Amino acid sequence: MRRHSTCQPAEHALHRRTFLGGLFGGAAATLTLGGVSLAGEVPAASDLRRQQKRALFIWLAGGASQFEMWDPKPGRETGGPFRTIPTAVSGYRVCELMPHLAARMNQLAVVRSLNTQISEHGQAADLMSTGWPKEPALEHPELGVVLAKELALEGSLLPDYVSLFATTEGRRRPATGFLSRRHSPLLLEESLQPRNIDLPAGLTPEQHAGREELRASLSSRFAEQRAGGELVQGYNEAYARVRGLMRSDELFDLAREPAAAKDRYGRTPFGQHCLLARRLLEAGVPMVKVARGFWDSHHDNFESHRELVPDFDRVLSVLLDDLHERGLLDSTLVIVLSEFGRTPKINEDVGRDHYADAWSCAFAGCGIRGGTVYGQTDEDGVKVVEGEATAGDVAATIFRAVGIDPARHYQVGPRPVPLAKEDAKPIKAILA
Amino acid sequence: MTAFDPQRATLQHKAETPGILFASCYDAASGNYYGAGTDGAVYRLATRAEKPAAEKRWRHHDNYVSALGWLDGTVVSTGYDRQLVWTRAESGEKLRSSEAHDGWVRDLALIPARGQIATVGDDLLVKLWDAGSGEPVKTFDGHAKQTPEGFATAIYALAASADGKLLASGDRIGEVCIWELDSGRLAARLKAPEFYTFDPQKRSRSIGGIRALLFLPDGRLAIGGLGPVSNVDGFVGPARFEIWDWQNAKMLHRGQDKHHAILDHLEYLPELSLMIGGGGGDAGPFLGFWNLRSEAPLHKAKPKSHIHHFVFDAASPRILAAGHAGFQIWTFTGEEEKKP
Repeated sequence: MRRHSTCQPAEHALHRRTFLGGLFGGAAATLTLGGVSLAGEVPAASDLRRQQKRALFIWLAGGASQFEMWDPKPGRETGGPFRTIPTAVSGYRVCELMPHLAARMNQLAVVRSLNTQISEHGQAADLMSTGWPKEPALEHPELGVVLAKELALEGSLLPDYVSLFATTEGRRRPATGFLSRRHSPLLLEESLQPRNIDLPAGLTPEQHAGREELRASLSSRFAEQRAGGELVQGYNEAYARVRGLMRSDELFDLAREPAAAKDRYGRTPFGQHCLLARRLLEAGVPMVKVARGFWDSHHDNFESHRELVPDFDRVLSVLLDDLHERGLLDSTLVIVLSEFGRTPKINEDVGRDHYADAWSCAFAGCGIRGGTVYGQTDEDGVKVVEGEATAGDVAATIFRAVGIDPARHYQVGPRPVPLAKEDAKPIKAILA
Repeated sequence: MTAFDPQRATLQHKAETPGILFASCYDAASGNYYGAGTDGAVYRLATRAEKPAAEKRWRHHDNYVSALGWLDGTVVSTGYDRQLVWTRAESGEKLRSSEAHDGWVRDLALIPARGQIATVGDDLLVKLWDAGSGEPVKTFDGHAKQTPEGFATAIYALAASADGKLLASGDRIGEVCIWELDSGRLAARLKAPEFYTFDPQKRSRSIGGIRALLFLPDGRLAIGGLGPVSNVDGFVGPARFEIWDWQNAKMLHRGQDKHHAILDHLEYLPELSLMIGGGGGDAGPFLGFWNLRSEAPLHKAKPKSHIHHFVFDAASPRILAAGHAGFQIWTFTGEEEKKP
């Protein structure tokens, strides 16, 4: 008998052809993809780019428990065995597993009143990562893809979006949806180093440069003699990004970080991934996603969270400190989100199942009013009783936090599609 | 002991309690069976009554109760509030309590031959207590303080040999320490890695651990839990126990079933050479009966809900079980309780 739904992990690897395919596909798609007009896209938000705003998406795949993190219910049957501790925000207590974040709560904003209704992994992940319900005729882009596009630095040779998803549970590649595949993230899945960016054996850097010179010359002559200059420009951009990536391999090399920095973040995978995320953000990558899986605790929920939450607590605290010390926190939006939370009811295997009716997420950094706790659930954590927020509201809040109007739209064929769903409202209480 | 046929195992009666019962103990003289768990209260089931109901008797813990022991009219209890509590069973009067560990207390074992009690807690220590006075006697420190991957670990299970000379403690990463109680020496350290699953990509979270320990009368050690996990959810691996020649660090026998469940408790009936394991998991609640000659169980029954602890009442014979939603009484006559 199989009682619980589980993720079906798909393992993928970044392949150079795949990466190039994405870039070239994107270049072509801007011209030919049915219904999507490049001309109709929102003009580049150059003011945002000058400010170099960034975003870090921390995705707790599988569904982290709000009870063992942001919305504990001590003394209730639903509350579980953990105690609560005070935080830097007067009157707000969190689970005892988060002492470091409790001390930094004046940097965080917590939303305890999400009601997103969908409690199946795939559909919920789609909903929370796009802010839109599934539509048969239109695939919406992932929030990170939109942020990467909007926050991209003009002329940057770095990727606009790097997604670290080293574990297999709930692994999903950020969908570009109706946007060009040019906005596909660089995926780091099997390794923290992009694969297949080294020169082939036997090819010297001088030979490589010579080949590029010849390619550029032929492209230029082709563009002059025939129509299709935009197509050639797209190819040129793609090649430039690949060359940029090949030159930036040091950026991905954590061996270049001092041992003290590595120790500070901790040697757990999540710690090392967040250290790499900080390197990327500091170097100018505008959008980074770090996924930490295995929160799907249908059995032994308390043992799981006793392992996962302290690691999350310590690493996120170090990351916030590090970003602050480097002057990056005010310009970097940090988003902590899952596909859903976990049930108030503790099941017979001492687990918690999927629950989307009343759960929590957290934000810090750019555009966020630290020290705010928004919304409330009832005494057992079953229902939202104040400040109900939807997936669309989360998306609108994210856009607003980095200075993007969530009502702005992309033109997809005849249909103007707003960045956030039409009825979505930014959660103003947590915005600076 | 009266012989019985495991194939005739039948859920004869159940009595509901709130939440989950993790612990139980039995007074064979009166037939009273005690259980406790998530609500911190101790419940009593008068098993010799015609249709016994669970009766809430006292609440001396303000967090989950993890283990109970019966000590001549006294119930000794411990739990996640760190307390070790002695309670007079008949009156519910709290006789004494001690803060036993710096962290959740996971299990206790009575050692009648020494007049002592052993406990394990999340400070990763094993402690001995005088059963009469409640005074601490000795502390043993030998388990790893973290999992190999650098995460929190725990000691889940504890068992004493019948002669009171040895104590076994089993942890989250599949290691067992055998302690000589007279000398305080760590006599052996066993590694039973099949009970611990961690994979940095596919299962990047610790799952399993040693959940049950038992010394057999001939000195061999039984270890119970969950075999290698095949999915990320948790208890998605075979119900499993192993019999070890611990002096020579050699696994002698493995009992396993494809039913995906963790074995939370083991009892061995030497006259019948029968191992009984109870638990639950992804495939549902589980009660298995093995001889020690084959890997597959002789019989497996399907309990009403996950069994977290049980005792075998040889006089009847029957199994008194505690778990999710209360008590269960299993008999071997093949007759179910008549419904009114």
